[in-house]
Amino acid sequence: MENNKIKKSDFHPFIRFFVFLVVGIFTILTLYPLFWLALSSLKTTTEFMKNSMGWPLNPTLQNYPAAWERAQFTNLFINSLFFTVISTLAIIFLALMAGFAFAKIQSKATPFLHGSFIMGILLTLQSIMVPLFLAVNLVGLYNTRLGVLIPYVGMGLPIAIYLCTEYIRSIPDSVVDSARIDGASYFRIFLNIIVPMAKPVAVTLAILNVAGTWNEFMLINILVSSDALRTLPVGILKFTGTLVTDYGRMFAALNIGLIPMLIFYLLFRKQITKGVAAGAVKG
Amino acid sequence: MKKTMFWSEKRRAYLLLVFPAVLIYWAVMAFPTIFSFVLSLTDYNGGPIFVRQAFSFVGFTNYLRMFQDKFFWISLKNNVFIMGISVFGQIPLGFLFAYVLHRKLVKFGDFVQTIVYLPSVISTIVIGRLWQLFFSPYGPLVTFMQKFKPGWYFSLANDPQLAIIPVLFVILWMYTGTYLIIFLANLQKIDPALIEAARIDGATEWQVLTKVILPALSGVIVTASILAISGSLKSFDLIYALTAGNPARRTSVLALYMYDYAFKHSPKYGLANAIAVVMVLLSLVLIGVVKITEGKFGGKE
Repeated sequence: MENNKIKKSDFHPFIRFFVFLVVGIFTILTLYPLFWLALSSLKTTTEFMKNSMGWPLNPTLQNYPAAWERAQFTNLFINSLFFTVISTLAIIFLALMAGFAFAKIQSKATPFLHGSFIMGILLTLQSIMVPLFLAVNLVGLYNTRLGVLIPYVGMGLPIAIYLCTEYIRSIPDSVVDSARIDGASYFRIFLNIIVPMAKPVAVTLAILNVAGTWNEFMLINILVSSDALRTLPVGILKFTGTLVTDYGRMFAALNIGLIPMLIFYLLFRKQITKGVAAGAVKG
Repeated sequence: MKKTMFWSEKRRAYLLLVFPAVLIYWAVMAFPTIFSFVLSLTDYNGGPIFVRQAFSFVGFTNYLRMFQDKFFWISLKNNVFIMGISVFGQIPLGFLFAYVLHRKLVKFGDFVQTIVYLPSVISTIVIGRLWQLFFSPYGPLVTFMQKFKPGWYFSLANDPQLAIIPVLFVILWMYTGTYLIIFLANLQKIDPALIEAARIDGATEWQVLTKVILPALSGVIVTASILAISGSLKSFDLIYALTAGNPARRTSVLALYMYDYAFKHSPKYGLANAIAVVMVLLSLVLIGVVKITEGKFGGKE
């Protein structure tokens, strides 16, 4: 193990300095804007215009309740939570079902159906946003919760099905076969054997989808126009766009939008990075 | 008889298990793709679609109009720039970070990893607005530079020719962490005994990097390139929040260009769908190119 460590003399000091510099600059470039955002949210707009960089002279939290009320954050949070929880649960359940069928029940349809999902991993959703909007309109689901949930589930399925199929394939066939010989139906096997065994992949999917859906902006922005259905990203964008000069509340609103994901990230950092590495698959 | 029953239960189970996912997925992804091709050949501009004279077929007029529009080419060029910064910026930087962290060249590796990946988990809308404020006249960049050079001025809307540069910077900043995570996970899969053996044989760290580590990661580098290339067509949210494509639509990208035609002013759905079709074809071509390159130069995993 000792041999595995780098001997300092191996790299030219200039290279080591350069590497250190790049890492340092990158770290500061991430921390500083966030720090500046937090500091600025504690200043009134008047103070910010005079003193945009420094420490707040009269730190105040007044921007937060003001921004919360004007941007209707209670409503935004409820909607974000609703879409995130429901679509994540639906994706996991549907992907486990299909993944089980693809992995453990032989069928001639599998290569085609499974392949169509794999195609979906690479298809850029951005390229179909206008046709999707028109399709949602066509079936009368514009401005409804269902009209948001169905696209969310559909776009989450490809990677979820890929991961579930891979995972369930790794469960030995004998587990399924012996249950079949004992007379268990496929649904019984799915609910009693596969679902409990697939917990790790379900956790990975939950984390990937929560992060993705919570931050989703493009679709909800075009599929919904009523205030009552808006989620955090749309609400924050509208709020910060209309109040170009009200810096205090703008910073507070951005911070309110940032904090939940920051906490989520710090809590589940290990699982998130694991999920990202697992999700970055070859198409 | 018993055998057929068994088979049919199996078949029924398969269909029931697969059906909901297939139905939703095809409705959301496959149907709009086909739908968009049909609409791209029409002059449909909104309203009920199944009534008489809702639209008429106009052949490839929309495509011709698009190819003659200079903003189409500006948007496409910006997508190419984004692809460039992803492949030649995010991937090498991500690899550098992963290598540095894996070989423990800096202290606080865990902390650095947490920070570098952090931008990817924050809402792109918040990120876009934050950098918009950062680059604004009251923002740190201008304030800081004015300490050294009074009167120095910068704005995102300053110079249409160079406006894409701050956008590219934010994109580089935002997604480098993703590649860090991918490379780090795969570096950890390389058998340490392999590196140890090379070291015992007298290989320098540089030789280990170029002769052992990089070849072992060639498949991952191809995967990362596919992600970066297909990802470059996805740019929308960040630019929408950061510049909305301005000044003078110089920072637009294809997705935003399409959005403008569908949702700004009076809708031109035929044209917007022609853009959608071109984007789908473009992403398929790009993936094909990477696949062929992969086959030629061999990426194993």
